Amino acid sequence: MTPRDFSERDIHMALDGELPGDERVAYDAWLDANPEMKARSARYVADRAALRAAFAGVLDEPVPARLQKIVFGEAPVKTAASRSRWWQAAAAAAMLAIGGVGGYVAGIDRLGLEDPAEDHLAEQAIAAHVIYAAEKRHAVEVPASDKDHLQTWLSNRVGLKLVAPDLAAEGFQLVGGRLLPAGESKAAMLLYEDDKGERISLFVTAESAEKAKGTYGSEENGPEAVYWLDKGYGCAVVGSLPRAQLTAVAKSAYSQLLAGLAG
Amino acid sequence: MDEKKAAILGEIPRLRRYARSLLRDRDSADDLVQDCLERALVRLDNWQTGESPRRWLFTIMHHLFIDQTRKVNRRGEVAMLPLEAGEAQAIPAEQVENIASREIIDALQAISPDRRAALVMVAIEGFSYAEAANILGVPAGTLMSRIARGREELRGLLDDTARRRAIRIVER
Repeated sequence: MTPRDFSERDIHMALDGELPGDERVAYDAWLDANPEMKARSARYVADRAALRAAFAGVLDEPVPARLQKIVFGEAPVKTAASRSRWWQAAAAAAMLAIGGVGGYVAGIDRLGLEDPAEDHLAEQAIAAHVIYAAEKRHAVEVPASDKDHLQTWLSNRVGLKLVAPDLAAEGFQLVGGRLLPAGESKAAMLLYEDDKGERISLFVTAESAEKAKGTYGSEENGPEAVYWLDKGYGCAVVGSLPRAQLTAVAKSAYSQLLAGLAG
Repeated sequence: MDEKKAAILGEIPRLRRYARSLLRDRDSADDLVQDCLERALVRLDNWQTGESPRRWLFTIMHHLFIDQTRKVNRRGEVAMLPLEAGEAQAIPAEQVENIASREIIDALQAISPDRRAALVMVAIEGFSYAEAANILGVPAGTLMSRIARGREELRGLLDDTARRRAIRIVER
Protein backbone atom coordinates (compact mmCIF):
# COMPACT_ATOMS: atom_id res chain seq x y z
CA MET A 1 0.00 0.00 0.00
CA THR A 2 1.35 3.41 -0.90
CA PRO A 3 1.53 5.65 2.14
CA ARG A 4 -0.97 8.45 1.73
CA ASP A 5 -0.41 12.07 2.60
CA PHE A 6 -1.60 13.01 6.04
CA SER A 7 -2.99 16.35 7.08
CA GLU A 8 -4.23 18.16 10.15
CA ARG A 9 -7.52 16.37 9.73
CA ASP A 10 -5.76 13.14 10.56
CA ILE A 11 -4.59 14.58 13.87
CA HIS A 12 -8.21 14.85 14.93
CA MET A 13 -9.08 11.43 13.59
CA ALA A 14 -6.13 9.82 15.34
CA LEU A 15 -7.02 11.56 18.56
CA ASP A 16 -10.61 10.40 18.34
CA GLY A 17 -9.73 6.82 17.48
CA GLU A 18 -11.05 7.15 13.95
CA LEU A 19 -7.82 6.52 12.08
CA PRO A 20 -7.83 3.07 10.47
CA GLY A 21 -5.47 0.77 12.36
CA ASP A 22 -3.36 -0.03 9.33
CA GLU A 23 -2.56 3.66 8.83
CA ARG A 24 -1.31 4.21 12.35
CA VAL A 25 2.35 3.41 11.69
CA ALA A 26 2.52 5.69 8.66
CA TYR A 27 0.71 8.42 10.62
CA ASP A 28 3.18 8.23 13.50
CA ALA A 29 6.06 8.46 11.04
CA TRP A 30 4.43 11.52 9.47
CA LEU A 31 4.08 13.15 12.90
CA ASP A 32 7.73 12.48 13.67
CA ALA A 33 8.71 14.09 10.41
CA ASN A 34 6.56 17.18 11.07
CA PRO A 35 7.51 18.72 14.42
CA GLU A 36 4.88 21.42 14.07
CA MET A 37 2.12 18.90 13.57
CA LYS A 38 3.50 16.80 16.37
CA ALA A 39 3.40 19.75 18.73
CA ARG A 40 -0.15 20.52 17.67
CA SER A 41 -1.19 16.95 18.29
CA ALA A 42 0.43 17.07 21.73
CA ARG A 43 -1.48 20.26 22.62
CA TYR A 44 -4.78 18.69 21.57
CA VAL A 45 -4.01 15.58 23.58
CA ALA A 46 -3.32 17.75 26.63
CA ASP A 47 -6.48 19.77 26.06
CA ARG A 48 -8.56 16.65 25.87
CA ALA A 49 -7.04 15.37 29.10
CA ALA A 50 -7.82 18.71 30.75
CA LEU A 51 -11.40 18.64 29.43
CA ARG A 52 -11.98 15.14 30.71
CA ALA A 53 -10.47 16.00 34.06
CA ALA A 54 -12.59 19.13 34.36
CA PHE A 55 -15.83 17.17 34.05
CA ALA A 56 -14.81 13.85 35.55
CA GLY A 57 -16.14 14.80 38.95
CA VAL A 58 -19.70 15.13 37.67
CA LEU A 59 -20.03 11.36 37.33
CA ASP A 60 -19.28 10.93 41.02
CA GLU A 61 -21.82 13.48 42.21
CA PRO A 62 -24.96 12.01 43.75
CA VAL A 63 -27.87 12.22 41.33
CA PRO A 64 -30.22 14.97 42.48
CA ALA A 65 -33.43 13.58 43.91
CA ARG A 66 -35.56 15.72 41.61
CA LEU A 67 -34.13 13.90 38.60
CA GLN A 68 -34.67 10.45 40.08
CA LYS A 69 -38.22 11.34 40.97
CA ILE A 70 -39.06 12.06 37.37
CA VAL A 71 -37.99 8.60 36.31
CA PHE A 72 -39.96 7.05 39.16
CA GLY A 73 -42.97 9.10 38.07
CA GLU A 74 -43.13 11.12 41.27
CA ALA A 75 -42.29 14.45 39.73
CA PRO A 76 -44.29 17.36 41.04
CA VAL A 77 -46.31 19.33 38.54
CA LYS A 78 -44.23 22.18 37.24
CA THR A 79 -45.41 25.65 37.98
CA ALA A 80 -44.72 28.52 35.64
CA ALA A 81 -42.14 29.86 38.06
CA SER A 82 -40.22 26.61 38.29
CA ARG A 83 -40.23 25.97 34.56
CA SER A 84 -36.86 25.02 33.41
CA ARG A 85 -34.65 27.95 32.86
CA TRP A 86 -31.59 26.16 31.63
CA TRP A 87 -31.77 27.81 28.25
CA GLN A 88 -31.07 31.14 29.84
CA ALA A 89 -27.63 29.85 30.57
CA ALA A 90 -27.41 29.06 26.88
CA ALA A 91 -28.23 32.70 26.22
CA ALA A 92 -25.50 33.75 28.61
CA ALA A 93 -23.14 31.43 26.80
CA ALA A 94 -24.10 32.95 23.46
CA MET A 95 -23.27 36.31 24.91
CA LEU A 96 -20.01 35.05 26.33
CA ALA A 97 -19.07 33.75 22.93
CA ILE A 98 -19.22 37.36 21.79
CA GLY A 99 -17.47 38.72 24.85
CA GLY A 100 -14.76 36.10 24.89
CA VAL A 101 -13.40 34.13 27.79
CA GLY A 102 -12.76 37.21 29.85
CA GLY A 103 -16.51 37.48 30.36
CA TYR A 104 -16.50 34.91 33.12
CA VAL A 105 -15.30 37.38 35.73
CA ALA A 106 -18.71 39.01 35.57
CA GLY A 107 -20.28 35.78 36.79
CA ILE A 108 -21.73 33.57 34.12
CA ASP A 109 -24.76 32.47 36.01
CA ARG A 110 -25.78 35.98 36.87
CA LEU A 111 -25.86 37.01 33.25
CA GLY A 112 -28.63 36.47 30.78
CA LEU A 113 -31.25 35.65 33.34
CA GLU A 114 -33.88 37.21 31.14
CA ASP A 115 -37.39 36.06 31.44
CA PRO A 116 -39.57 35.68 28.36
CA ALA A 117 -41.94 38.28 29.86
CA GLU A 118 -39.35 40.99 29.81
CA ASP A 119 -38.08 39.99 26.38
CA HIS A 120 -41.68 40.37 25.33
CA LEU A 121 -41.86 43.88 26.73
CA ALA A 122 -38.60 44.81 25.02
CA GLU A 123 -39.77 43.32 21.73
CA GLN A 124 -43.02 45.26 21.83
CA ALA A 125 -41.17 48.44 22.67
CA ILE A 126 -38.72 47.93 19.81
CA ALA A 127 -41.49 47.08 17.35
CA ALA A 128 -43.36 50.25 18.28
CA HIS A 129 -40.21 52.30 17.99
CA VAL A 130 -39.36 50.89 14.56
CA ILE A 131 -42.81 51.76 13.25
CA TYR A 132 -43.51 55.15 14.79
CA ALA A 133 -40.09 56.74 15.20
CA ALA A 134 -39.71 56.49 11.42
CA GLU A 135 -42.96 58.42 10.84
CA LYS A 136 -42.45 62.08 10.00
CA ARG A 137 -45.95 63.50 10.31
CA HIS A 138 -47.78 60.76 12.15
CA ALA A 139 -45.26 59.71 14.75
CA VAL A 140 -47.49 60.72 17.65
CA GLU A 141 -51.20 61.03 18.38
CA VAL A 142 -50.86 63.87 20.86
CA PRO A 143 -48.04 66.38 20.33
CA ALA A 144 -45.80 67.76 23.07
CA SER A 145 -47.54 71.13 22.75
CA ASP A 146 -50.49 69.45 24.45
CA LYS A 147 -48.35 67.85 27.13
CA ASP A 148 -50.78 68.14 30.04
CA HIS A 149 -53.54 66.46 28.10
CA LEU A 150 -51.09 63.81 26.85
CA GLN A 151 -50.06 62.92 30.40
CA THR A 152 -53.59 62.80 31.77
CA TRP A 153 -54.91 60.81 28.86
CA LEU A 154 -52.13 58.21 28.88
CA SER A 155 -52.22 57.93 32.68
CA ASN A 156 -55.94 57.16 32.57
CA ARG A 157 -55.64 54.65 29.76
CA VAL A 158 -52.58 52.80 31.00
CA GLY A 159 -53.56 52.99 34.66
CA LEU A 160 -50.36 54.55 35.98
CA LYS A 161 -49.57 58.07 36.98
CA LEU A 162 -47.40 59.05 34.04
CA VAL A 163 -45.19 62.10 33.98
CA ALA A 164 -43.27 62.57 30.75
CA PRO A 165 -39.60 62.71 31.79
CA ASP A 166 -37.63 65.84 30.98
CA LEU A 167 -34.65 64.64 28.96
CA ALA A 168 -33.36 68.07 27.93
CA ALA A 169 -30.18 67.50 29.91
CA GLU A 170 -29.55 64.47 27.69
CA GLY A 171 -30.32 66.52 24.58
CA PHE A 172 -33.79 65.15 23.90
CA GLN A 173 -37.08 67.03 23.59
CA LEU A 174 -40.51 65.45 23.86
CA VAL A 175 -42.21 65.07 20.47
CA GLY A 176 -45.43 63.61 21.83
CA GLY A 177 -47.01 60.31 22.63
CA ARG A 178 -49.49 57.65 21.68
CA LEU A 179 -51.46 54.77 23.12
CA LEU A 180 -50.58 51.25 22.01
CA PRO A 181 -51.83 47.73 22.62
CA ALA A 182 -49.50 45.65 24.79
CA GLY A 183 -50.62 42.08 24.99
CA GLU A 184 -53.97 42.16 26.74
CA SER A 185 -53.43 45.61 28.15
CA LYS A 186 -52.23 49.01 27.00
CA ALA A 187 -48.97 50.80 26.79
CA ALA A 188 -47.97 54.43 26.53
CA MET A 189 -45.30 55.43 24.08
CA LEU A 190 -43.51 58.74 24.46
CA LEU A 191 -41.31 59.89 21.61
CA TYR A 192 -38.28 62.16 22.02
CA GLU A 193 -35.97 63.75 19.48
CA ASP A 194 -32.59 65.45 19.66
CA ASP A 195 -31.51 68.43 17.53
CA LYS A 196 -30.06 66.09 14.91
CA GLY A 197 -33.39 64.35 14.51
CA GLU A 198 -32.28 61.19 16.34
CA ARG A 199 -35.30 59.68 18.05
CA ILE A 200 -35.74 57.55 21.12
CA SER A 201 -38.93 56.25 22.63
CA LEU A 202 -40.14 55.41 26.06
CA PHE A 203 -42.56 52.51 26.39
CA VAL A 204 -44.53 52.07 29.61
CA THR A 205 -47.06 49.44 30.65
CA ALA A 206 -48.79 48.65 33.92
CA GLU A 207 -48.39 44.94 33.34
CA SER A 208 -45.60 43.24 35.18
CA ALA A 209 -45.24 40.95 38.12
CA GLU A 210 -41.53 40.63 38.45
CA LYS A 211 -38.39 42.62 38.95
CA ALA A 212 -35.83 42.68 36.20
CA LYS A 213 -33.65 44.95 34.20
CA GLY A 214 -31.55 44.53 31.13
CA THR A 215 -30.70 45.46 27.59
CA TYR A 216 -32.22 43.81 24.58
CA GLY A 217 -31.51 44.06 20.88
CA SER A 218 -33.54 42.06 18.39
CA GLU A 219 -31.14 42.26 15.53
CA GLU A 220 -27.69 43.44 14.70
CA ASN A 221 -27.48 47.19 14.17
CA GLY A 222 -31.16 47.51 15.05
CA PRO A 223 -32.41 49.66 17.92
CA GLU A 224 -31.85 48.41 21.43
CA ALA A 225 -34.12 48.52 24.43
CA VAL A 226 -32.98 49.21 27.96
CA TYR A 227 -35.75 47.99 30.21
CA TRP A 228 -36.83 47.81 33.80
CA LEU A 229 -39.64 45.80 35.26
CA ASP A 230 -41.00 45.94 38.72
CA LYS A 231 -44.18 44.93 40.41
CA GLY A 232 -46.99 46.70 38.61
CA TYR A 233 -45.14 48.39 35.77
CA GLY A 234 -42.57 47.89 33.12
CA CYS A 235 -40.74 50.40 31.00
CA ALA A 236 -38.30 50.31 28.15
CA VAL A 237 -36.25 53.01 26.49
CA VAL A 238 -35.56 52.24 22.84
CA GLY A 239 -33.13 53.87 20.47
CA SER A 240 -30.17 53.37 18.19
CA LEU A 241 -27.79 55.37 20.34
CA PRO A 242 -24.43 54.04 21.47
CA ARG A 243 -25.04 51.67 24.38
CA ALA A 244 -23.55 53.93 27.04
CA GLN A 245 -25.56 56.95 25.91
CA LEU A 246 -28.77 54.96 25.67
CA THR A 247 -28.21 53.59 29.16
CA ALA A 248 -27.59 57.08 30.53
CA VAL A 249 -30.76 58.47 28.91
CA ALA A 250 -32.71 55.45 30.10
CA LYS A 251 -31.54 55.88 33.67
CA SER A 252 -32.58 59.51 33.70
CA ALA A 253 -35.98 58.67 32.18
CA TYR A 254 -36.51 55.82 34.59
CA SER A 255 -35.71 57.78 37.73
CA GLN A 256 -38.07 60.57 36.64
CA LEU A 257 -40.79 58.06 35.79
CA LEU A 258 -40.41 56.49 39.22
CA ALA A 259 -40.62 59.86 40.89
CA GLY A 260 -43.74 60.59 38.81
CA LEU A 261 -45.37 57.29 39.72
CA ALA A 262 -44.80 57.93 43.39
CA GLY A 263 -45.88 61.56 43.19
CA MET B 1 -39.47 -0.92 38.18
CA ASP B 2 -39.29 -1.86 34.56
CA GLU B 3 -36.08 -2.31 32.65
CA LYS B 4 -36.45 0.81 30.57
CA LYS B 5 -36.66 3.03 33.60
CA ALA B 6 -33.70 1.32 35.21
CA ALA B 7 -31.70 1.92 32.05
CA ILE B 8 -32.68 5.59 32.01
CA LEU B 9 -31.74 5.97 35.64
CA GLY B 10 -28.32 4.53 34.88
CA GLU B 11 -27.69 7.17 32.23
CA ILE B 12 -28.38 10.18 34.42
CA PRO B 13 -24.75 10.71 35.52
CA ARG B 14 -23.63 10.81 31.89
CA LEU B 15 -26.46 13.09 30.89
CA ARG B 16 -25.55 15.42 33.72
CA ARG B 17 -21.94 15.52 32.63
CA TYR B 18 -22.89 16.31 29.04
CA ALA B 19 -25.32 18.99 30.19
CA ARG B 20 -22.70 20.51 32.47
CA SER B 21 -20.23 20.79 29.62
CA LEU B 22 -22.87 22.47 27.47
CA LEU B 23 -24.13 24.91 30.07
CA ARG B 24 -21.61 25.04 32.89
CA ASP B 25 -24.00 26.28 35.56
CA ARG B 26 -24.98 23.31 37.65
CA ASP B 27 -28.64 24.13 38.18
CA SER B 28 -29.19 25.07 34.56
CA ALA B 29 -27.52 21.84 33.48
CA ASP B 30 -29.76 19.80 35.78
CA ASP B 31 -32.79 21.67 34.45
CA LEU B 32 -31.80 20.57 30.97
CA VAL B 33 -31.45 16.97 32.17
CA GLN B 34 -34.84 17.28 33.83
CA ASP B 35 -36.46 18.46 30.60
CA CYS B 36 -34.77 15.59 28.80
CA LEU B 37 -36.02 12.99 31.27
CA GLU B 38 -39.54 14.36 31.17
CA ARG B 39 -39.60 14.20 27.41
CA ALA B 40 -38.07 10.73 27.41
CA LEU B 41 -40.72 9.36 29.78
CA VAL B 42 -43.51 10.77 27.66
CA ARG B 43 -42.00 9.09 24.64
CA LEU B 44 -41.02 5.84 26.24
CA ASP B 45 -42.91 3.96 23.54
CA ASN B 46 -40.73 5.52 20.82
CA TRP B 47 -37.70 3.91 22.29
CA GLN B 48 -36.91 0.97 20.03
CA THR B 49 -35.94 -2.20 21.79
CA GLY B 50 -32.29 -2.78 21.20
CA GLU B 51 -31.51 0.92 20.76
CA SER B 52 -28.86 2.10 23.17
CA PRO B 53 -30.51 4.10 25.96
CA ARG B 54 -27.52 6.38 25.98
CA ARG B 55 -27.84 7.30 22.35
CA TRP B 56 -31.58 7.74 22.61
CA LEU B 57 -31.34 10.01 25.66
CA PHE B 58 -28.43 12.03 24.32
CA THR B 59 -30.36 12.63 21.12
CA ILE B 60 -33.36 13.93 23.06
CA MET B 61 -31.22 16.18 25.21
CA HIS B 62 -29.24 17.48 22.31
CA HIS B 63 -32.40 18.46 20.46
CA LEU B 64 -33.65 20.31 23.49
CA PHE B 65 -30.37 22.14 23.80
CA ILE B 66 -29.95 23.08 20.17
CA ASP B 67 -33.60 24.11 19.63
CA GLN B 68 -33.41 26.49 22.50
CA THR B 69 -30.01 27.82 21.52
CA ARG B 70 -31.38 28.63 18.09
CA LYS B 71 -34.41 30.33 19.57
CA VAL B 72 -32.17 32.44 21.74
CA ASN B 73 -30.03 33.37 18.76
CA ARG B 74 -33.06 34.26 16.67
CA ARG B 75 -34.32 36.53 19.37
CA GLY B 76 -30.99 38.24 19.21
CA GLU B 77 -28.21 38.92 21.54
CA VAL B 78 -29.33 38.83 25.12
CA ALA B 79 -27.26 40.92 27.42
CA MET B 80 -27.70 42.44 30.83
CA LEU B 81 -26.82 45.95 31.75
CA PRO B 82 -23.27 46.29 32.96
CA LEU B 83 -23.29 44.95 36.48
CA GLU B 84 -22.84 47.33 39.32
CA ALA B 85 -19.52 46.93 41.08
CA GLY B 86 -21.15 45.19 44.01
CA GLU B 87 -22.99 42.77 41.77
CA ALA B 88 -19.93 41.64 39.89
CA GLN B 89 -18.58 38.51 41.36
CA ALA B 90 -16.63 35.51 40.31
CA ILE B 91 -18.33 32.22 39.74
CA PRO B 92 -19.38 30.61 42.99
CA ALA B 93 -17.04 27.84 43.95
CA GLU B 94 -19.79 25.27 43.73
CA GLN B 95 -17.39 22.83 42.30
CA VAL B 96 -13.79 22.62 43.20
CA GLU B 97 -11.99 23.75 40.11
CA ASN B 98 -8.33 24.29 39.75
CA ILE B 99 -7.19 27.07 37.48
CA ALA B 100 -6.58 24.81 34.52
CA SER B 101 -10.04 23.30 34.79
CA ARG B 102 -11.65 26.66 35.16
CA GLU B 103 -9.82 28.03 32.16
CA ILE B 104 -10.77 25.16 29.94
CA ILE B 105 -14.39 25.23 31.10
CA ASP B 106 -14.55 28.95 30.38
CA ALA B 107 -13.00 28.45 26.97
CA LEU B 108 -15.44 25.64 26.19
CA GLN B 109 -18.36 27.92 27.03
CA ALA B 110 -17.01 30.54 24.66
CA ILE B 111 -17.02 28.42 21.52
CA SER B 112 -20.19 28.05 19.45
CA PRO B 113 -22.79 25.62 20.81
CA ASP B 114 -22.63 23.41 17.72
CA ARG B 115 -18.88 23.02 17.97
CA ARG B 116 -19.03 22.60 21.72
CA ALA B 117 -21.56 19.80 21.47
CA ALA B 118 -19.61 17.98 18.75
CA LEU B 119 -16.32 18.23 20.58
CA VAL B 120 -17.72 17.18 23.94
CA MET B 121 -19.62 14.29 22.44
CA VAL B 122 -16.44 12.79 21.04
CA ALA B 123 -13.67 14.02 23.34
CA ILE B 124 -15.42 13.63 26.71
CA GLU B 125 -18.35 11.32 26.15
CA GLY B 126 -16.36 8.99 23.94
CA PHE B 127 -18.86 8.54 21.13
CA SER B 128 -17.52 7.52 17.75
CA TYR B 129 -17.87 9.94 14.84
CA ALA B 130 -20.70 7.83 13.45
CA GLU B 131 -22.58 7.78 16.76
CA ALA B 132 -22.03 11.48 17.43
CA ALA B 133 -23.11 12.44 13.90
CA ASN B 134 -26.23 10.37 14.39
CA ILE B 135 -27.07 11.92 17.75
CA LEU B 136 -26.42 15.45 16.55
CA GLY B 137 -28.25 14.78 13.31
CA VAL B 138 -25.51 16.06 11.02
CA PRO B 139 -23.45 14.42 8.26
CA ALA B 140 -20.13 12.93 9.34
CA GLY B 141 -18.22 15.59 7.39
CA THR B 142 -19.99 18.37 9.26
CA LEU B 143 -19.29 16.68 12.55
CA MET B 144 -15.60 16.36 11.72
CA SER B 145 -15.26 19.98 10.74
CA ARG B 146 -17.06 21.07 13.92
CA ILE B 147 -14.71 18.98 16.02
CA ALA B 148 -11.63 20.29 14.23
CA ARG B 149 -12.78 23.94 14.41
CA GLY B 150 -13.90 23.48 17.99
CA ARG B 151 -10.51 22.16 19.04
CA GLU B 152 -8.68 24.93 17.23
CA GLU B 153 -10.91 27.57 18.72
CA LEU B 154 -10.56 26.12 22.20
CA ARG B 155 -6.79 26.06 21.91
CA GLY B 156 -6.76 29.63 20.58
CA LEU B 157 -8.79 30.82 23.54
CA LEU B 158 -6.53 29.04 25.99
CA ASP B 159 -3.49 30.59 24.32
CA ASP B 160 -5.12 34.02 24.68
CA THR B 161 -5.80 33.39 28.35
CA ALA B 162 -2.23 32.31 28.92
CA ARG B 163 -1.01 35.41 27.13
CA ARG B 164 -3.18 37.69 29.22
CA ARG B 165 -1.99 36.02 32.38
CA ALA B 166 1.62 36.54 31.27
CA ILE B 167 0.93 40.21 30.65
CA ARG B 168 -0.64 40.61 34.07
CA ILE B 169 2.36 39.02 35.70
CA VAL B 170 4.69 41.37 33.85
CA GLU B 171 2.58 44.36 34.87
CA ARG B 172 2.89 43.46 38.49
